[in-house]
Parts: sequence; C-alpha cells; structure tokens
Amino acid sequence: MSDFLNSCKHYASVGSFQGRMALQRQLEYPLFLVSWLIMIPLKYLIGVWMLKILVDQFQPLAGWTFPQLAFLYGLGMLSHGLMVVVSIQSWFLDHMVIQGGFDRMLLRPLNVFFQFTFMYLNLIGCVDLIPAVIIFVTGCSLTGFDWTFGNSVGVLSVVLGATLIRSSFYTLTACVAFWTKRATHMRAIGHDLMERSTLYPLSIYPKAFQWILTFVIPLGFISFYPSTALLNINHGTALPLEIAMWTPIIGIAMFGLSQIVFNRGLRAYESAGS
Amino acid sequence: MIEATNLIKEFRVTKKESGLRGALKGLIRPERETVRAVDGVSFRINKGEIVGYLGPNGAGKSTTVKMLTGILHPTSGEILINGVSPHRERTRVVQNLGVVFGQRTQLNWDLRLGESFELQRRIYRISDDRFAAQMDTMRSLLGLTEFENTPVRQLSLGQRMRGDLAAAMLHSPSILFLDEPTIGLDLTAKQAIRDFIREVNTLHQTTIILTTHDLEDVEQLCKRLIVINHGRVVEDGPLEDLIDRLAPYRQIEIDFVQEVPVIEIQGVDVVEVNGNRMVLQFDRRAFSAASVISAVTQRAAVRDLSVREPEIADVLKRYYQDSA
Ligand SMILES: Nc1ncnc2c1ncn2[C@@H]1O[C@H](COP(=O)(O)OP(=O)(O)O)[C@@H](O)[C@H]1O
Ligand SMILES: [Mg+2]
Repeated sequence: MSDFLNSCKHYASVGSFQGRMALQRQLEYPLFLVSWLIMIPLKYLIGVWMLKILVDQFQPLAGWTFPQLAFLYGLGMLSHGLMVVVSIQSWFLDHMVIQGGFDRMLLRPLNVFFQFTFMYLNLIGCVDLIPAVIIFVTGCSLTGFDWTFGNSVGVLSVVLGATLIRSSFYTLTACVAFWTKRATHMRAIGHDLMERSTLYPLSIYPKAFQWILTFVIPLGFISFYPSTALLNINHGTALPLEIAMWTPIIGIAMFGLSQIVFNRGLRAYESAGS
Repeated sequence: MIEATNLIKEFRVTKKESGLRGALKGLIRPERETVRAVDGVSFRINKGEIVGYLGPNGAGKSTTVKMLTGILHPTSGEILINGVSPHRERTRVVQNLGVVFGQRTQLNWDLRLGESFELQRRIYRISDDRFAAQMDTMRSLLGLTEFENTPVRQLSLGQRMRGDLAAAMLHSPSILFLDEPTIGLDLTAKQAIRDFIREVNTLHQTTIILTTHDLEDVEQLCKRLIVINHGRVVEDGPLEDLIDRLAPYRQIEIDFVQEVPVIEIQGVDVVEVNGNRMVLQFDRRAFSAASVISAVTQRAAVRDLSVREPEIADVLKRYYQDSA
C-alpha cells in the first residue's frame, strides 16, 4: 500500500513538473499566444452566428430551436476546449511514432502511457474555452436551463467524460501508425467527424450514421445525447434518456481501450532510423 | 554486466518507388521488405569496461544500443543487463542506465538547461542531498555553471552535449551508453567530453559503451573494441590485439650519419630509401623494435630514429571502405 502511495507521489511529482515546464515553454513565445487568442474565439463565434442565420431563415434544425442548438454547440465545445488543453498530444501521436518520439520516454523508469498522457499542457487551448463558455452560457440562459445540483453535476461529468472520449478517439486512430509506420492523417478526418457529430444534433443525419455514432464510435455521447437528457428533448432519438448521460462511463471505457491499444502498439514500436 | 546473445533485429520497411506511377503504387499496395539491421550479435561486457562499439554507417550500432536500452525489442535473441531483461522489465533496467544519443538531445529545447536537470531529479527520485552533490560534481567536471541558466536552444553543440551528459549521469547509473557523443564537436569540446568519460569511469567504475567514428576517442578511451559490419560482429578484443592482428607490421624510420648501409635481415623489409633516410618494416610478432634497432646500429652510425605505430584508422580501414 505504501509502495502504491509512493508510486502515486512519484508520478504526480513528475506529471506536475512536466505540466509546469510545458506552460513555461509556451510563455517563451508570447506573440504566438496572442495571435491565437484572437483567432480561435472568432472562429467559433462565427460558427454560432452562421447557425443562427440558418435557423432564422429556415425551420429549426430537426426540431431543435436555436437556444437548444446553442446549448448543444456550447456543451460540445467545452469538452473540445478541455481536450485541446490537456490532451493535444493525441493529435500528434502518429507523428511521434514515425519520428521516434517515444525513445526518450522509453528510456525513463516510468510508464510510457502515463508520460504520453501527461506530457503537455497546452496554454493556447484555453483560448478555445472562451467561446465555449460564452456560447454555452448563452444557450443555458436562452433555454432557461435550471442549474440544480443534479444538473450541475451532470454537466460537469459530461464535459469530463466527453474530454476522455475525444482524446481517446484521437489516440486510438493515431495508434494505427505503430503498425503501419505511416502518418494516419486521421486527424483531419477525425476532426471533421467530431465537429459534425458534436456541434449539431445527430438526428439531422441518416439513421445508419446515427447508429454508428452511438454504438461503434460513440461520439454521440459527447454532446448530443447529454443535451437531449439535460434539456429533456424527446424527439428524434432512439436511446432511452437514462443512457443518454452515460458519457463518463463511455469516456472511461474508451480511455481504457486506448491504453490497451497504445501498449500493444508500443510493442511494435520501431523508433526511427538515425 | 551486459550480456547479449544472438541478437537479431529486423525492420519492415516500405520500398519507395520512383515517379508518379511508383508513388501511386506505393499508396495502393505498398511493397514491404525486411531489412536485417542486426544479425546475430553476441558479446559480454563486464562492469567498469569502456568498450568502443565501432563500424561504418548503417552497420547496426544504434540499433544495438536501442535494443540494449529497451527502446527496441529484438526480433530474436536475449539481452541481460545486470541479469535483467530490458525487454521484459524495462523500467527496472533503465533506472540504472544513462543514455546519450549525440544526434538527438534529451534536453528540453525551450527551457533553461537547469530545468531539464530538475526533471531528471523527479524522474529518478534523487534525494535533495544527493542531487546537490551530483550537481556539484557535474559542474566541476563539465563546467556547467556558465550556461546552466541558458535556454538549451541557445547552447553551442559542445555545451548541449555537456548538458546531455550531465543529465544522463545525475542519477549515477552503473552503465552509460553513448551513441556518437563527439559527433560534430570541435577539438576542445571533444577533449572535454573524453576527459569526462574517463573521469566517470575511474571514479565510479561506470561501464561505458561508446559508438563513434572518431579514432581519437577510441585511442584515448577504449581498452576493448567491438567492430560490427552489416549487423555482425567482425572483431571483438583488446585494442592492442586488434592492431597486432590486423596491422602486425611496424615501421622504423632511421636517419643515418652517412649514406644508408645495406641491410639484409630475414623478415625485415626496406620500404623506402631517401638520401640518408631509410624506412624499415617488420612483423612485430617476429621481432621486437629493439632487436631491429640494435642490428641496424651495428652496421652504421645512426643520427636519429623513430618507431611508427600503426594508426587505428589504418587498422579499421577495410571495414569502413566497403560501405563508403
Ligand atoms: N527505425 C528503423 N526503421 C527501419 N530501418 C531502420 C530503422 N533504424 C535503423 N534502420 C536501418 O537499420 C540499419 C542499421 O542502422 P543503424 O543501427 O542506425 O546504423 P548505425 O548506427 O551503425 O549507423 C540501416 O540500414 C538503417 O537504415
Ligand atoms: Mg548510428
């Protein structure tokens, strides 16, 4: 037991120091930070604005009103922002594999998946969180979302679970590079799929696609199903509302799966020729 | 102690074909082939040895080091580092290793050098007292003080390499792997690195495995050489034995007071005569230099003479030639 505690302390001290180093590194380049600080919120605010135009000019999207859409969009962006802060490295995993980026981690007497998971804290990612918060808060007030204790815990657990789903999804797709030794270029495809399935209601898509995004690649649990549950929207979803809030469970399951696949992949890791 | 038995490492690589047609073909149906980078390497290295692991580019040196340090799993064969397999118990083995790849730094590029040491302290759980003592040693051996607070990206190659060495030795590993530690450095930087290696070895009996193309490194540091080519060990033994066997000849250059005498000794060849100067060559296994010299001085007055030792470069030339 004390061995276990010692080990936890060890990992926590390395993990927190790595995080601190990551932040320090970024503060070395303030101009870069500032440019992102302007660009990223702009991009997402424009996204919602477009959505509003769409909804105003045509009928509500698959029965969803603008306030509900803003809620869903904002909820989806919260976990996106968080993922970009804590887990941006899962976007680059395939390149690390190809360029031999795990050599250094393998030389350390620490678990490699841990080192990978906590290798970086992306300060710029906070910028993604700004529009997320603005849009989500707007959505909440427009829908009259009731911040009861249960609802608050619900939102928090959904955001954390969804963050796990997102980073595990990217990790899993990039892990293919361990075997193929090629960049998967799944980031672009994955990113597109992610945006389409988390920023708009799944119910606008064909049934087969919805089914896949529920049972095969459960991205529907990032924002769509939780929104239906939190806002009590019953139309257009086949899933019972109790399951709709399973985001943390699915997040943990996917995280576990990504660790298994990562460790398998690491056995096939071949470094890089010098 | 390091024991490697019959190590083999194969890589699957995709064949790159030329032209658009080739590129398309590679996209649809990549052709794979197997490259054997290390092909049945065995050796045993004892505590406290400094071993030069030599061979031409692409011979498989780095691949061997990566297997010994647990980065790569061997395709087949067995490795034991102090009795433990890095393949099966990686974390236990690497706790006791220091590794420096000259081509690639382990230091954090954007931060001051000291931060990288601080990270090592946490990773290896070095106690405060021990860390302070080790840092003092490193500072005095490597002269870190002048650039400890400089961001790594602003360091010269020589300073960076000194930083890398310090980071690799902070936790006092019993084995140090150095893959081309002097590559690209100027003469003084090279010498600083060599002095450090020698110092560490004598102070703590650290076992050191060194790959290099620099023969000065070899001459100054390595008592034993392992030479590989095309993934196989072609030589393994003490430096002197290797020279004895691969370059058994020794030359004596003699300046005579008057004109050169006729020398006829069985087994001693005259390879050059130039005015009053003469170069003799003989098999060092059959003659000692002293016996040749005394035979010569009996025949004529000698003004000056010098014995030429074979250069390691000459000794290893034949291994480097066929890959160049
Ligand atoms: N990660 C890798 N993937 C594919 N081939 C590799 C890899 N690493 C090394 N090789 C190949 O293995 C051979 C030996 O390489 P290496 O061990 O780096 O040689 P050295 O260090 O002696 O110059 C070379 O032909 C090299 O191209
Ligand atoms: Mg090499």
